Amino acid sequence: MEFFKKTFDPVISLAIISVLNIFLFLTVGAWTVGGGETMMTGLIAEFFLGDELARIPFWDLVFKPDAGYWKIYISLGMLFGALIGALLSKEFYWRVPKHLSEWVMITIGGLLMGVGIRLAFVCNVSTFFGLTPQMNLGGYLSMTGIIAGAWVGSIIYKKVLES
Amino acid sequence: MSVVGQCLAAFIFGSIVGFLVQRSRFCNTAALRDAMLFKTYRNTKALLVTMMILTVGFTTFMTFGDGHPLQFDVGINQVIGLFLFGIGMVLAGACTVSTWVKAGEGNVGAIWALLFTFIGMFLFSLVWSYTYWPPASATMTGEPNLTGLQFGFANAATLQEKTGIPALFFGLVQTAVLYAIYQAILRKERRIAEQRAPASKSVLETHIVVESKS
Repeated sequence: MEFFKKTFDPVISLAIISVLNIFLFLTVGAWTVGGGETMMTGLIAEFFLGDELARIPFWDLVFKPDAGYWKIYISLGMLFGALIGALLSKEFYWRVPKHLSEWVMITIGGLLMGVGIRLAFVCNVSTFFGLTPQMNLGGYLSMTGIIAGAWVGSIIYKKVLES
Repeated sequence: MSVVGQCLAAFIFGSIVGFLVQRSRFCNTAALRDAMLFKTYRNTKALLVTMMILTVGFTTFMTFGDGHPLQFDVGINQVIGLFLFGIGMVLAGACTVSTWVKAGEGNVGAIWALLFTFIGMFLFSLVWSYTYWPPASATMTGEPNLTGLQFGFANAATLQEKTGIPALFFGLVQTAVLYAIYQAILRKERRIAEQRAPASKSVLETHIVVESKS
């Protein structure tokens, strides 16, 4: 089990992922996460709201809740694969943010990510591993946005760390 | 491919990705944040290599009309949306991939971030139901739509259609640009290493701490 204790080289790991991503592109479509998360949101909302969900047109016109949507299973796979990786390397343990400031930043960050994904139709994965390699105009627009956003985010993050 | 087959392929792909990302500590957020804040490029280099491989791979198959490229009109909403996303991912310390991967490692903060991503999406669905913007895919035409602030649809395949030049050619140009950025980062790393070389060991140690944080 010594093999699993070492950290893998990120370039080699990502190169393997890239080749698999090309296969996925040929069978169903390139790696993406945001769409699957939206569908999960829809399914969770449907579970709690039932038929009431029909009153929100978004879930009829843009994303109709459907458990057979393949993108959901990429996310579940990542959760499963990471759990296996963490268990094999004995890195699994419950980590809880200690400071209130961390909780606040994660809450705001999560909300911004959710709103951002839906506004843009894409997440960071589709931006870097889907749209841009397909030379889609949206990839360049998204990259402009995410780099500017990460820069502003870094300034805020630094301010919070310093205080 | 049947629905079950699609979901199974997606799950297997996701599992391998989750495993490799967990073991390699790759993080898309860190690729941007660390380059800007700490001038360390471990993840940025991996991101660039991935994009080079994918550009060649995708445009090769798109030249022959194979594969399933993303099909939707793009516009101002991509810039605004990813701008908000960019701020969010740095604040949360995780992007869409690392939230799932860190959740798999038992990180409660990542599970909390995921929960609020879902809440953010649901809140947006309420807003969308009033504004109907950005336009739903069903109403997209592929042409510029100025009232909807949409530029239409363009990718390597449409470039090939319009110019008659194979999509792969454009892909190779993009790969060359990405490679130039990669080389520039390597040069910058060498410069930083030279500056740090005469410095004491403690500087090196803080450098390692910063790296392992990602």
